[in-house]
Amino acid sequence: MNPLVSSRDAVFDPVRLLNAEQESRTFLRLRIRMAFTTLHTMLHTARLRLTLVVILSCFFWGALYGLFSEAFTFLDSLRTDIVSLLLNTFFSSLMVMLMFSSGIILYSSLYCSREARLLVTLPARAEMIVSHMFQEAIWFSSWGFMLLGSPMLVAYGVVTGSPWTYYAMLPPFMLSFVFIPSMLGNIACLMLVAWLPKIRLHAVSTILVLACAGGLWLGWSTMSATTSDRLSSAWFQEMFGRLSITEQRILPSWWLSTGLLEVARPAQTQSELFASLGEAAKFLALLVANGLFLQLITGWTASHLYRLGYSQLACEQPLRGRRRPMGWFDQFISMSGTATGRPIRLLLVKDLRLFRRDVTQWSQFAIFFGLLALYFANVRSFSYNATYSSMIGFLNVAVIGLILSTFTTRFIYPMISLEGRRFWILGLLPVNRDQIVWSKFIFSSVGSLVPCTLLVLLSDLTLGIPPMFIAIHETCCVILCFGLSGIAVGLGARMPDLRESSPSKIAAGFGGTLSLVISALFIMLVVIIAAVPSHLFTATQASQSPLVVRGVLGWAGSGTGIVCSMVVVVAIGLFATLWPMILGLKAFRTLEP
Amino acid sequence: MIEFDHVTREYGTKIAVSDLSLSIPRGELFALLGPNGAGKTTTIKMLVGLLRPSRGNVRVCGFDSVKDPRLSHLHTGYVPDEPCLYDKLTGREFLWFIADMFGLARHSAEERIAREMHSFELEEFADDLAESYSLGMKQRLVFASALLHDPDVLVLDEPMVGLDPRSTRLVKDLLERRVHEGMTVFMSTHTLAMAEEMADRVGIMDRGKLRFLGTLDQLRDQMSLQTMNLEQLYLQLTSSSESRSR
Repeated sequence: MNPLVSSRDAVFDPVRLLNAEQESRTFLRLRIRMAFTTLHTMLHTARLRLTLVVILSCFFWGALYGLFSEAFTFLDSLRTDIVSLLLNTFFSSLMVMLMFSSGIILYSSLYCSREARLLVTLPARAEMIVSHMFQEAIWFSSWGFMLLGSPMLVAYGVVTGSPWTYYAMLPPFMLSFVFIPSMLGNIACLMLVAWLPKIRLHAVSTILVLACAGGLWLGWSTMSATTSDRLSSAWFQEMFGRLSITEQRILPSWWLSTGLLEVARPAQTQSELFASLGEAAKFLALLVANGLFLQLITGWTASHLYRLGYSQLACEQPLRGRRRPMGWFDQFISMSGTATGRPIRLLLVKDLRLFRRDVTQWSQFAIFFGLLALYFANVRSFSYNATYSSMIGFLNVAVIGLILSTFTTRFIYPMISLEGRRFWILGLLPVNRDQIVWSKFIFSSVGSLVPCTLLVLLSDLTLGIPPMFIAIHETCCVILCFGLSGIAVGLGARMPDLRESSPSKIAAGFGGTLSLVISALFIMLVVIIAAVPSHLFTATQASQSPLVVRGVLGWAGSGTGIVCSMVVVVAIGLFATLWPMILGLKAFRTLEP
Repeated sequence: MIEFDHVTREYGTKIAVSDLSLSIPRGELFALLGPNGAGKTTTIKMLVGLLRPSRGNVRVCGFDSVKDPRLSHLHTGYVPDEPCLYDKLTGREFLWFIADMFGLARHSAEERIAREMHSFELEEFADDLAESYSLGMKQRLVFASALLHDPDVLVLDEPMVGLDPRSTRLVKDLLERRVHEGMTVFMSTHTLAMAEEMADRVGIMDRGKLRFLGTLDQLRDQMSLQTMNLEQLYLQLTSSSESRSR
């Protein structure tokens, strides 16, 4: 029997409109069926990826739990009542992020997806289509909140010795809270597309920039204006005093944090337990009631605006005659150099153009590296001694490498597979296959070298690291850029997926996951081998004694040890760059499209 | 069955469809022809509710596509130029979803799904995921889903793209039979031979305007070119309108 069979009576009748409940059940069956098939497919074809996701999520959860436990224990020792403010700040920030992320995800699924194009032509209620898409959007936008929020709240409960009722109330509180900003994002998306279709991108960008500017101003004024000693009780009081704006009682984040703090209070007697539970239930009811109210408004908005918005968006005049602001740069790359290298340069220009015109690629690149730059620029806000500065510098190199590895896996690894699909174009050109692979490698390594080395320089200068260690960090960074590019391009050419047209699906396959895992191992190896001797050297220097450690570690912490470690790092870098490239070139030469 | 009443659709300053008035009765196969950018796809999108007219009304079986979109869709089957399917559903599951959306009773749905799968020779791969289908298989599945609820109006946008000669013949025979049984077909195509072979009437659009509406014989009479086939007449008509517009 088919799993999508409905339970309606077996009566032969003509077509008819479904009532809201029947429509809702039909969409629910569809959702369950697709979720089951996706899970089944993942279990059979992407076990490595699924296992990695589960293991890394558990690791991430555990690490966050440990971190938050330490933080709450520390705050507890300060004897200051700032947890409420901390939770309010955290939840109000997440509320804004959830609103934007669910709005953007909904925009993409409601107006740009093929599924929406099918559903709009079926006799389905507009509000049901929106509700169906909303389920997906709320899942994608809130899993991060759950992964980040749950270890924090569990850690708080454990540190304060909260009763069992606190843990029982956590899921309903978090779910009902997530609903409110997501619904607001949903309503904003529907209104924006229906009423302002032509300026929707400008409107979202303006709001986003204003929100970011507001957040930065708040963060800057909070961090810069405080005069007390960092991490002291007075410093916390002063800093959080500036964040009291997040404690507005009209905000759902306040209802959430206040409700949770009520139910988390340790109870001595049964009556105290029920009293705190009753108080918390009021806040939960407030969240649920507002969520349901917003759902009603969303339904009404969707029924009036969704089909109108869909039509409005489709009627936008396509942009023609775009300006080519970077044309001179492309021309410069194409024309400079020797004639033999021209095919590679032309391929590079093509990839550069595709990168510039793909908003997904450059916006993610800009956001992640922009956030890193912001963090590095402020890393000096806390005082470190010389030993820690050097270690933090290495950790920053590792962070840059890890972020770069996600980009090389997501965007560089699929490039050869996508070229394979267009082999009929490249196959007819006077370009040999090796040049295609090398052009991807140059594109990736040169493209990543500039921002990554600049970020390392910013981090080291902010931390006040001596020139010798800056040189070591920069060398590691260059090796990571070449190595990660070699791994992504080489494995991409060795294991191309010529049937798939979506780069994200290619990256999510076995080869992409393998590339990510090897990249992570490579980063760890490079950073650990380079960091340990440097750390021992710095520790020796800081202690003013000839050697604080003896034997092998003592030798490792000497100047010779550092030089040897860098030789090993360079050797590993060469191997990580060349070995996958050799494998990839060999496979790509004999590839049959 | 289908009525366009002074319909205009604008994209910003560009007029995609200009003052289109057209009525297609029950049991007629109508072919809309025209060069790229003539406004055919916009016309079809307005007919199936993907677009709203800037001015005028579009009605299917008397139901306005803007005011009563659900009732209008209930009587319409649509085969788009690019098949829209759920990759993670099998062909059979997709047809069940469509049957449920059109409110078909279980027994009736089972019968119809079996009928359409047989008509379009889908049985062999009905339980495979749609992501594994070729373009032709996907197109046949979309045809099956569009005809599943026996619509009064079938809207086809370049229907033969991706179909092999056997499937093309199969679809043609099926359309002829359904039209004979009373279904109205509105088809946009560049395949002039198919329009010549099957259409009761043709409409030729160019730059948003309907340049000609009638049978092939009427077109020949209008152009005083009795011996020409549809392809020659079409090229003659569209080139003359192009030169007029210059």
